[in-house]
Amino acid sequence: MRADGTLAILDRWGRAALPGTVLLFFVLLTLAPLRAPYLSDTLPLLPVLVVFQFSLVTPERLPGPLLLVMGILLDLLLGGPGAPVGISALGFILVRAAVIANRRYLVGVPFLFQWIGFCILCWGYVALVWAFTTLWTWAAIDPVPAMLQYVVMIVIYPLLAPLLARVRARDPLNVPELSRGSARPGETTT
Amino acid sequence: MAIRDDFEVVASQVRTVVQRFALGLLVIVTFGVMLVGKADTVLVEHARVLALDMVSPVLETIARPVAYANRAIADLREFASLREENARLREENARLLAWQTAARRLENENEGLRSLARFREGPEASFITARLVGDSVSAYMRGALLNVGRRVGVAPGQAVVTGEGLAGRIAEVGENSSRVLFVTDVNSRLPVLVERTRERAILAGDNSPRLRLALLQSIAGVQTGDRIVTSGHGGSFPVGIPVGEVVETSEGTVRVRPFTDFSRLEFVRVVDYGVTGLVGPAAPGPAAPPAGVRVR
Repeated sequence: MRADGTLAILDRWGRAALPGTVLLFFVLLTLAPLRAPYLSDTLPLLPVLVVFQFSLVTPERLPGPLLLVMGILLDLLLGGPGAPVGISALGFILVRAAVIANRRYLVGVPFLFQWIGFCILCWGYVALVWAFTTLWTWAAIDPVPAMLQYVVMIVIYPLLAPLLARVRARDPLNVPELSRGSARPGETTT
Repeated sequence: MAIRDDFEVVASQVRTVVQRFALGLLVIVTFGVMLVGKADTVLVEHARVLALDMVSPVLETIARPVAYANRAIADLREFASLREENARLREENARLLAWQTAARRLENENEGLRSLARFREGPEASFITARLVGDSVSAYMRGALLNVGRRVGVAPGQAVVTGEGLAGRIAEVGENSSRVLFVTDVNSRLPVLVERTRERAILAGDNSPRLRLALLQSIAGVQTGDRIVTSGHGGSFPVGIPVGEVVETSEGTVRVRPFTDFSRLEFVRVVDYGVTGLVGPAAPGPAAPPAGVRVR
């Protein structure tokens, strides 16, 4: 085997593993005892941002089963006694599905519209988790902290998203079939 | 050949079906996991503990730099108000010295009276000092992860205290890690006493920074500034650990501010207290209430 062959394999593996590793990092980061006001309460929502952004740029490298595992891990680590396990996984999978269904509109549009898309999906996620946790534990849970989390998350998005978006292939249309979404060759989006 | 082609056709059909229903399948699986979690809580607890044990070494390595950064930020912030802080501390020190004298005198007196009454003291509590390696704070949960577990004697239900007062109780225990549920968590219910009136109550958290005093017989007797301490009823909690002080009494609700500053926790102590010690042989006469437990 040639040397550059090994390098190429490593490169391919690295590229394939990057989104999952980043997601795992953010899942673990939710437990970091960060003392920054507002930010530490928002950490549990960061994985949603990662799922949204990677589903947008390279969905084939963040498959559904992986999201299932990560979501369950997040719930196991985060939740106290009685909290539903699997609700984050459900949220992740639905966010991914929603992004993939709308990739045609989301990939080529200016950043502002991606942001709006994230606002809508993240709101759906927060509402889903809140509703499920409330039903599951059958207790009136104050929705204000969740909403506060959401607002901080929306503000953070423009800071973090461009960084995560750098993993994408150079040209959105010059990539394998699966990650192209419904865009056709020759179709221009700008 | 034909068989092989057929096989490939079927395989591709299966693949399309799986791809088409992948979303539905995954959603069903998540619901399945949630139902299993609801039905078999023991299994979920095991999974939680396993996950905690797996990630706690990772967390411990990142907790140190994070703690360092937090301290640096806090230092910077305090630097601005150094003068005022100094003056305040000097004043407080003078006040505390007076208290120390009073405490020494009372301790001597207490000891003398105890030996007179042949009062048998309860067992001394032992402490396990732990580092806080992870937060478990979200919109639905107030807690933290500690780097101590079953191996050093931590058990569910034990009290977790700081220098200021009670922080919470141990909820889950792994081999080398455990999860604390803070008193501010929505699941936290703590039997307490109003220190001044000796009235019993339940202190409930609701995920906000203020605690709610519930099941109080008469709310009228409680005043702003009253100290709330643990009563030790119904559990392995020692008696008389300070929890907080009443900051608001209005319209039938009493709000309590916990003494512990949850945003600055770094080290805590887990109180290992023999439960059986609480129900020791009662001393004769009116000196019976189990209030002689010494908590340091």
